[in-house]
Amino acid sequence: MEKMIAVDRLARPEDHVLVPLDQIREARLEQNLTPFNAMPYEEDFLKARLHGICAGEFQAMEAAGRTLFDFPDAPWEFQLDMARQVWDESRHSEIYMKLLDYVGSFLGEFPESEVLWSCTQIDDPACRVAGINRGLEGLACDVFEQLIRMAQKMGDPVIERAVDYVLADEITHVRMGSKWMRKLTEGDPERLKKAQAFQDNIDNLFNFGGGRTSQEGAQQIKQRVGDKEVEIDATITIAREARLLAGFTDEEIERLIKGMGKSAAY
Amino acid sequence: MPDLGNRANVMGPQPIGPVKQPAPEMIEAIDRFLSALMCGKKDDALAMTLEQARDRVSQIADSLKPRGYDSSQILGKARVAEHYFVKAKLTGGKGAPFTLQFRIGPEGGQWTVRDVSDLSNVRSAWTK
Repeated sequence: MEKMIAVDRLARPEDHVLVPLDQIREARLEQNLTPFNAMPYEEDFLKARLHGICAGEFQAMEAAGRTLFDFPDAPWEFQLDMARQVWDESRHSEIYMKLLDYVGSFLGEFPESEVLWSCTQIDDPACRVAGINRGLEGLACDVFEQLIRMAQKMGDPVIERAVDYVLADEITHVRMGSKWMRKLTEGDPERLKKAQAFQDNIDNLFNFGGGRTSQEGAQQIKQRVGDKEVEIDATITIAREARLLAGFTDEEIERLIKGMGKSAAY
Repeated sequence: MPDLGNRANVMGPQPIGPVKQPAPEMIEAIDRFLSALMCGKKDDALAMTLEQARDRVSQIADSLKPRGYDSSQILGKARVAEHYFVKAKLTGGKGAPFTLQFRIGPEGGQWTVRDVSDLSNVRSAWTK
Protein backbone atom coordinates (compact mmCIF):
# COMPACT_ATOMS: atom_id res chain seq x y z
CA MET A 1 0.00 0.00 0.00
CA GLU A 2 1.18 3.50 -0.83
CA LYS A 3 2.52 5.81 1.88
CA MET A 4 1.91 9.55 2.20
CA ILE A 5 -1.24 9.40 0.13
CA ALA A 6 -2.63 12.48 -1.58
CA VAL A 7 -5.85 13.96 -0.25
CA ASP A 8 -7.99 12.74 -3.12
CA ARG A 9 -7.23 9.15 -2.13
CA LEU A 10 -9.34 9.54 1.00
CA ALA A 11 -12.49 7.49 0.56
CA ARG A 12 -15.69 9.48 0.49
CA PRO A 13 -19.20 8.54 -0.64
CA GLU A 14 -20.13 9.70 -4.13
CA ASP A 15 -22.71 12.11 -2.74
CA HIS A 16 -20.15 14.06 -0.70
CA VAL A 17 -19.21 17.39 -2.19
CA LEU A 18 -15.48 17.96 -1.85
CA VAL A 19 -14.23 21.44 -2.63
CA PRO A 20 -10.69 22.84 -2.54
CA LEU A 21 -10.27 25.56 0.07
CA ASP A 22 -9.52 28.18 -2.61
CA GLN A 23 -12.93 27.67 -4.17
CA ILE A 24 -14.66 27.87 -0.80
CA ARG A 25 -12.87 31.14 -0.10
CA GLU A 26 -13.89 32.48 -3.48
CA ALA A 27 -17.52 31.58 -2.77
CA ARG A 28 -17.38 33.39 0.55
CA LEU A 29 -15.70 36.48 -0.87
CA GLU A 30 -18.32 36.73 -3.61
CA GLN A 31 -20.95 36.89 -0.87
CA ASN A 32 -19.03 39.63 0.96
CA LEU A 33 -18.03 37.27 3.74
CA THR A 34 -14.57 36.82 5.25
CA PRO A 35 -12.50 34.32 3.29
CA PHE A 36 -12.09 31.96 6.23
CA ASN A 37 -14.64 29.83 8.07
CA ALA A 38 -18.16 30.91 8.99
CA MET A 39 -17.86 33.70 11.52
CA PRO A 40 -19.87 34.04 14.74
CA TYR A 41 -22.03 36.84 13.31
CA GLU A 42 -23.26 34.63 10.47
CA GLU A 43 -26.65 32.99 10.70
CA ASP A 44 -25.21 29.54 10.02
CA PHE A 45 -22.31 29.87 12.40
CA LEU A 46 -23.16 27.00 14.74
CA LYS A 47 -24.10 24.57 11.97
CA ALA A 48 -21.08 25.45 9.85
CA ARG A 49 -18.71 25.31 12.82
CA LEU A 50 -19.96 21.89 13.92
CA HIS A 51 -19.78 20.67 10.33
CA GLY A 52 -16.19 21.84 9.93
CA ILE A 53 -15.26 20.10 13.16
CA CYS A 54 -17.02 16.90 12.13
CA ALA A 55 -15.14 16.81 8.82
CA GLY A 56 -11.98 17.57 10.79
CA GLU A 57 -12.61 14.62 13.10
CA PHE A 58 -12.91 12.32 10.09
CA GLN A 59 -9.65 13.59 8.64
CA ALA A 60 -7.98 13.39 12.08
CA MET A 61 -9.05 9.75 12.34
CA GLU A 62 -7.65 9.08 8.88
CA ALA A 63 -4.47 11.02 9.66
CA ALA A 64 -3.73 9.05 12.83
CA GLY A 65 -4.38 5.83 10.93
CA ARG A 66 -2.05 6.88 8.14
CA THR A 67 0.65 7.88 10.64
CA LEU A 68 0.38 4.40 12.13
CA PHE A 69 0.71 2.85 8.68
CA ASP A 70 3.31 5.23 7.24
CA PHE A 71 5.89 4.68 10.00
CA PRO A 72 6.06 0.95 10.73
CA ASP A 73 9.52 1.32 12.32
CA ALA A 74 8.39 3.83 14.93
CA PRO A 75 8.36 2.62 18.57
CA TRP A 76 5.58 0.22 19.46
CA GLU A 77 4.23 2.63 22.12
CA PHE A 78 3.99 5.34 19.45
CA GLN A 79 1.96 3.00 17.26
CA LEU A 80 -0.29 2.14 20.18
CA ASP A 81 -0.92 5.84 20.84
CA MET A 82 -1.79 6.43 17.18
CA ALA A 83 -4.15 3.45 17.20
CA ARG A 84 -5.81 4.82 20.31
CA GLN A 85 -6.18 8.16 18.59
CA VAL A 86 -7.89 6.56 15.60
CA TRP A 87 -10.42 5.08 18.01
CA ASP A 88 -10.89 8.42 19.80
CA GLU A 89 -11.40 10.34 16.55
CA SER A 90 -13.92 7.79 15.28
CA ARG A 91 -15.99 8.35 18.42
CA HIS A 92 -15.65 12.10 17.98
CA SER A 93 -16.88 11.81 14.38
CA GLU A 94 -19.99 10.01 15.60
CA ILE A 95 -20.58 12.56 18.35
CA TYR A 96 -20.35 15.47 15.93
CA MET A 97 -22.62 13.75 13.41
CA LYS A 98 -25.22 13.49 16.15
CA LEU A 99 -24.65 17.12 17.15
CA LEU A 100 -25.21 18.17 13.52
CA ASP A 101 -28.52 16.35 13.60
CA TYR A 102 -29.29 18.08 16.89
CA VAL A 103 -28.79 21.60 15.51
CA GLY A 104 -30.76 20.90 12.33
CA SER A 105 -27.90 20.10 10.00
CA PHE A 106 -26.40 16.93 8.53
CA LEU A 107 -23.05 15.68 7.30
CA GLY A 108 -22.76 16.99 3.75
CA GLU A 109 -24.75 20.21 4.20
CA PHE A 110 -21.50 22.13 3.75
CA PRO A 111 -18.54 21.19 1.55
CA GLU A 112 -15.48 19.42 2.93
CA SER A 113 -12.12 20.99 2.18
CA GLU A 114 -8.75 19.33 1.88
CA VAL A 115 -6.83 21.74 4.07
CA LEU A 116 -6.38 19.54 7.15
CA TRP A 117 -4.97 16.71 5.10
CA SER A 118 -2.23 19.00 3.84
CA CYS A 119 -0.89 18.86 7.41
CA THR A 120 -0.14 15.15 7.06
CA GLN A 121 2.12 15.51 4.07
CA ILE A 122 5.48 15.06 5.73
CA ASP A 123 7.64 11.98 5.91
CA ASP A 124 8.75 12.14 9.54
CA PRO A 125 6.64 10.94 12.49
CA ALA A 126 8.06 13.70 14.73
CA CYS A 127 6.85 16.37 12.29
CA ARG A 128 3.56 14.56 11.83
CA VAL A 129 2.73 14.63 15.56
CA ALA A 130 4.06 18.17 15.95
CA GLY A 131 1.76 19.38 13.17
CA ILE A 132 -1.31 17.28 13.80
CA ASN A 133 -1.27 16.63 17.54
CA ARG A 134 0.20 19.93 18.68
CA GLY A 135 -0.89 22.28 15.87
CA LEU A 136 -4.29 21.02 14.83
CA GLU A 137 -5.40 19.42 18.09
CA GLY A 138 -4.27 22.59 19.87
CA LEU A 139 -6.57 24.56 17.58
CA ALA A 140 -9.32 22.06 18.40
CA CYS A 141 -8.87 22.85 22.10
CA ASP A 142 -9.48 26.53 21.30
CA VAL A 143 -12.54 25.91 19.18
CA PHE A 144 -14.08 23.37 21.57
CA GLU A 145 -13.59 25.50 24.65
CA GLN A 146 -15.34 28.35 22.85
CA LEU A 147 -18.22 26.09 21.85
CA ILE A 148 -18.61 24.92 25.44
CA ARG A 149 -18.88 28.51 26.66
CA MET A 150 -21.38 29.29 23.91
CA ALA A 151 -23.48 26.26 24.89
CA GLN A 152 -23.39 27.36 28.52
CA LYS A 153 -24.74 30.75 27.49
CA MET A 154 -27.43 29.02 25.43
CA GLY A 155 -28.30 26.87 28.44
CA ASP A 156 -27.76 23.82 26.24
CA PRO A 157 -26.34 20.87 28.21
CA VAL A 158 -26.33 18.58 25.14
CA ILE A 159 -23.72 20.58 23.21
CA GLU A 160 -21.87 21.58 26.38
CA ARG A 161 -21.36 18.04 27.66
CA ALA A 162 -20.77 16.42 24.29
CA VAL A 163 -18.04 18.89 23.38
CA ASP A 164 -16.52 18.77 26.85
CA TYR A 165 -16.24 15.00 26.50
CA VAL A 166 -14.38 15.42 23.21
CA LEU A 167 -12.17 18.21 24.56
CA ALA A 168 -10.91 15.88 27.30
CA ASP A 169 -9.62 13.53 24.58
CA GLU A 170 -8.07 16.35 22.56
CA ILE A 171 -6.04 17.43 25.55
CA THR A 172 -4.56 13.93 25.76
CA HIS A 173 -3.81 14.04 22.03
CA VAL A 174 -1.84 17.25 22.40
CA ARG A 175 0.10 15.78 25.31
CA MET A 176 0.76 12.69 23.24
CA GLY A 177 2.08 14.89 20.44
CA SER A 178 4.37 16.79 22.78
CA LYS A 179 5.70 13.57 24.28
CA TRP A 180 6.46 11.96 20.92
CA MET A 181 7.87 15.12 19.36
CA ARG A 182 10.42 15.16 22.19
CA LYS A 183 11.09 11.43 22.31
CA LEU A 184 11.49 10.92 18.58
CA THR A 185 13.92 13.84 18.31
CA GLU A 186 16.02 13.06 21.40
CA GLY A 187 19.67 13.84 20.68
CA ASP A 188 18.80 15.29 17.28
CA PRO A 189 18.27 19.06 17.61
CA GLU A 190 18.01 19.51 13.84
CA ARG A 191 15.11 17.10 13.65
CA LEU A 192 13.41 18.83 16.58
CA LYS A 193 13.82 22.16 14.81
CA LYS A 194 12.28 20.71 11.67
CA ALA A 195 9.30 19.38 13.65
CA GLN A 196 8.79 22.76 15.32
CA ALA A 197 9.01 24.53 11.99
CA PHE A 198 6.35 22.21 10.59
CA GLN A 199 4.08 23.02 13.52
CA ASP A 200 4.78 26.74 13.07
CA ASN A 201 3.59 26.51 9.47
CA ILE A 202 0.37 24.91 10.61
CA ASP A 203 -0.16 27.43 13.41
CA ASN A 204 0.31 30.18 10.84
CA LEU A 205 -2.03 28.51 8.37
CA PHE A 206 -4.78 28.52 11.00
CA ASN A 207 -3.99 31.91 12.40
CA PHE A 208 -6.96 33.34 10.47
CA GLY A 209 -5.10 36.46 9.46
CA GLY A 210 -4.14 37.23 13.04
CA GLY A 211 -7.84 37.29 13.93
CA ARG A 212 -7.56 35.15 17.06
CA THR A 213 -7.70 36.76 20.48
CA SER A 214 -7.58 35.92 24.15
CA GLN A 215 -10.94 35.20 25.78
CA GLU A 216 -10.76 38.50 27.65
CA GLY A 217 -9.96 40.43 24.48
CA ALA A 218 -12.82 38.99 22.40
CA GLN A 219 -15.61 41.36 21.44
CA GLN A 220 -19.11 40.05 22.03
CA ILE A 221 -21.85 39.87 19.43
CA LYS A 222 -25.44 38.69 19.50
CA GLN A 223 -26.29 35.42 17.78
CA ARG A 224 -29.66 33.70 17.48
CA VAL A 225 -29.50 29.94 18.00
CA GLY A 226 -32.82 28.10 17.83
CA ASP A 227 -35.22 30.19 19.87
CA LYS A 228 -32.53 31.88 21.94
CA GLU A 229 -30.38 34.94 21.40
CA VAL A 230 -27.03 34.83 23.15
CA GLU A 231 -23.90 36.96 23.26
CA ILE A 232 -20.89 35.08 21.92
CA ASP A 233 -17.26 35.82 21.07
CA ALA A 234 -16.83 37.57 17.73
CA THR A 235 -13.42 35.96 17.19
CA ILE A 236 -11.78 32.59 17.66
CA THR A 237 -10.25 32.69 21.11
CA ILE A 238 -7.23 30.91 22.51
CA ALA A 239 -8.21 28.44 25.26
CA ARG A 240 -5.44 29.24 27.72
CA GLU A 241 -6.58 26.87 30.44
CA ALA A 242 -7.15 23.91 28.11
CA ARG A 243 -3.83 24.56 26.37
CA LEU A 244 -2.00 24.72 29.71
CA LEU A 245 -3.63 21.42 30.67
CA ALA A 246 -2.45 20.02 27.36
CA GLY A 247 1.11 21.05 28.13
CA PHE A 248 1.61 24.20 26.07
CA THR A 249 3.77 26.79 27.78
CA ASP A 250 2.67 30.35 28.62
CA GLU A 251 5.17 31.58 26.05
CA GLU A 252 3.65 29.45 23.30
CA ILE A 253 0.16 30.64 24.19
CA GLU A 254 1.26 34.29 24.20
CA ARG A 255 2.81 33.86 20.78
CA LEU A 256 -0.44 32.46 19.42
CA ILE A 257 -2.44 35.33 20.90
CA LYS A 258 -0.06 37.78 19.27
CA GLY A 259 -0.58 35.96 16.00
CA MET A 260 3.03 35.04 15.66
CA GLY A 261 2.33 31.35 15.30
CA LYS A 262 5.86 30.33 16.11
CA SER A 263 6.01 27.86 18.98
CA ALA A 264 8.91 27.35 21.32
CA ALA A 265 10.20 23.96 22.36
CA TYR A 266 9.56 22.71 25.81
CA MET B 1 -26.17 6.86 10.51
CA PRO B 2 -29.68 5.41 10.65
CA ASP B 3 -32.56 7.84 10.50
CA LEU B 4 -34.25 8.04 13.85
CA GLY B 5 -37.63 8.29 12.16
CA ASN B 6 -40.53 10.14 13.71
CA ARG B 7 -38.76 12.34 16.19
CA ALA B 8 -41.77 13.00 18.34
CA ASN B 9 -41.71 9.30 19.22
CA VAL B 10 -38.00 9.17 19.95
CA MET B 11 -36.63 9.60 23.45
CA GLY B 12 -33.72 11.91 24.08
CA PRO B 13 -32.79 15.38 22.83
CA GLN B 14 -34.75 16.65 19.85
CA PRO B 15 -33.32 18.95 17.15
CA ILE B 16 -33.23 22.58 18.26
CA GLY B 17 -33.53 23.98 14.74
CA PRO B 18 -34.90 23.09 11.34
CA VAL B 19 -32.83 21.85 8.41
CA LYS B 20 -32.46 24.60 5.81
CA GLN B 21 -34.21 23.55 2.62
CA PRO B 22 -32.79 24.64 -0.73
CA ALA B 23 -34.90 27.16 -2.63
CA PRO B 24 -37.14 25.48 -5.25
CA GLU B 25 -35.95 28.14 -7.73
CA MET B 26 -32.39 26.91 -7.28
CA ILE B 27 -33.33 23.28 -7.94
CA GLU B 28 -35.17 24.45 -11.03
CA ALA B 29 -32.12 26.44 -12.15
CA ILE B 30 -29.87 23.40 -11.65
CA ASP B 31 -32.21 21.31 -13.80
CA ARG B 32 -32.25 23.98 -16.51
CA PHE B 33 -28.46 24.20 -16.55
CA LEU B 34 -27.98 20.44 -16.69
CA SER B 35 -30.65 20.07 -19.38
CA ALA B 36 -28.97 22.76 -21.48
CA LEU B 37 -25.64 20.91 -21.24
CA MET B 38 -27.22 17.54 -22.04
CA CYS B 39 -29.06 18.87 -25.08
CA GLY B 40 -26.06 20.77 -26.40
CA LYS B 41 -27.80 24.14 -25.91
CA LYS B 42 -24.65 26.05 -25.16
CA ASP B 43 -26.27 29.48 -25.37
CA ASP B 44 -28.88 28.53 -22.78
CA ALA B 45 -26.16 27.30 -20.42
CA LEU B 46 -24.09 30.44 -20.99
CA ALA B 47 -27.12 32.67 -20.42
CA MET B 48 -27.19 31.59 -16.81
CA THR B 49 -23.41 31.70 -16.31
CA LEU B 50 -21.44 34.64 -14.93
CA GLU B 51 -18.55 36.00 -16.98
CA GLN B 52 -15.91 34.39 -14.74
CA ALA B 53 -17.07 30.86 -15.63
CA ARG B 54 -18.17 31.31 -19.23
CA ASP B 55 -15.03 29.90 -20.82
CA ARG B 56 -15.18 26.71 -18.77
CA VAL B 57 -18.90 26.25 -19.35
CA SER B 58 -18.38 26.84 -23.04
CA GLN B 59 -15.62 24.20 -23.21
CA ILE B 60 -17.71 21.68 -21.33
CA ALA B 61 -20.79 22.35 -23.46
CA ASP B 62 -18.73 21.89 -26.64
CA SER B 63 -17.24 18.63 -25.42
CA LEU B 64 -20.64 17.25 -24.41
CA LYS B 65 -22.57 18.17 -27.55
CA PRO B 66 -21.66 15.11 -29.64
CA ARG B 67 -22.32 12.72 -26.80
CA GLY B 68 -26.05 13.45 -26.44
CA TYR B 69 -26.74 12.58 -22.82
CA ASP B 70 -30.36 12.01 -21.95
CA SER B 71 -30.51 12.00 -18.17
CA SER B 72 -28.93 13.80 -15.28
CA GLN B 73 -28.62 13.08 -11.59
CA ILE B 74 -27.71 15.44 -8.79
CA LEU B 75 -25.22 13.44 -6.72
CA GLY B 76 -24.86 15.97 -3.95
CA LYS B 77 -25.02 19.60 -3.04
CA ALA B 78 -23.31 21.52 -0.28
CA ARG B 79 -23.64 25.16 0.55
CA VAL B 80 -21.41 28.01 1.54
CA ALA B 81 -23.86 30.55 2.97
CA GLU B 82 -26.30 31.06 0.06
CA HIS B 83 -24.16 29.56 -2.70
CA TYR B 84 -24.39 25.84 -3.47
CA PHE B 85 -21.72 23.56 -4.87
CA VAL B 86 -23.56 20.96 -6.93
CA LYS B 87 -22.08 17.65 -8.04
CA ALA B 88 -23.98 16.06 -10.90
CA LYS B 89 -23.66 13.19 -13.31
CA LEU B 90 -24.89 13.03 -16.90
CA THR B 91 -25.68 9.58 -18.27
CA GLY B 92 -27.28 7.78 -21.19
CA GLY B 93 -25.06 9.29 -23.86
CA LYS B 94 -22.77 7.72 -26.42
CA GLY B 95 -19.76 8.11 -24.19
CA ALA B 96 -18.96 7.40 -20.57
CA PRO B 97 -20.99 9.15 -17.85
CA PHE B 98 -19.87 12.73 -17.30
CA THR B 99 -19.45 14.13 -13.79
CA LEU B 100 -19.22 17.84 -13.13
CA GLN B 101 -19.29 20.12 -10.14
CA PHE B 102 -20.44 23.71 -10.25
CA ARG B 103 -21.31 26.55 -7.95
CA ILE B 104 -24.62 28.33 -8.25
CA GLY B 105 -25.73 31.41 -6.37
CA PRO B 106 -28.53 33.97 -6.34
CA GLU B 107 -28.12 37.32 -8.03
CA GLY B 108 -30.84 39.84 -8.80
CA GLY B 109 -33.59 37.25 -8.35
CA GLN B 110 -31.86 34.73 -10.63
CA TRP B 111 -29.63 31.75 -9.91
CA THR B 112 -26.37 31.97 -11.81
CA VAL B 113 -23.46 29.57 -12.32
CA ARG B 114 -20.17 30.98 -11.03
CA ASP B 115 -17.68 28.17 -11.23
CA VAL B 116 -17.55 24.77 -12.91
CA SER B 117 -15.18 21.79 -12.88
CA ASP B 118 -15.06 18.67 -15.00
CA LEU B 119 -14.70 15.71 -12.62
CA SER B 120 -15.06 12.95 -15.19
CA ASN B 121 -11.39 11.98 -15.25
CA VAL B 122 -10.33 12.81 -11.71
CA ARG B 123 -11.00 11.18 -8.36
CA SER B 124 -12.61 14.33 -6.93
CA ALA B 125 -12.45 18.12 -6.96
CA TRP B 126 -9.55 17.73 -4.51
CA THR B 127 -7.35 16.24 -7.25
CA LYS B 128 -4.53 18.65 -8.00
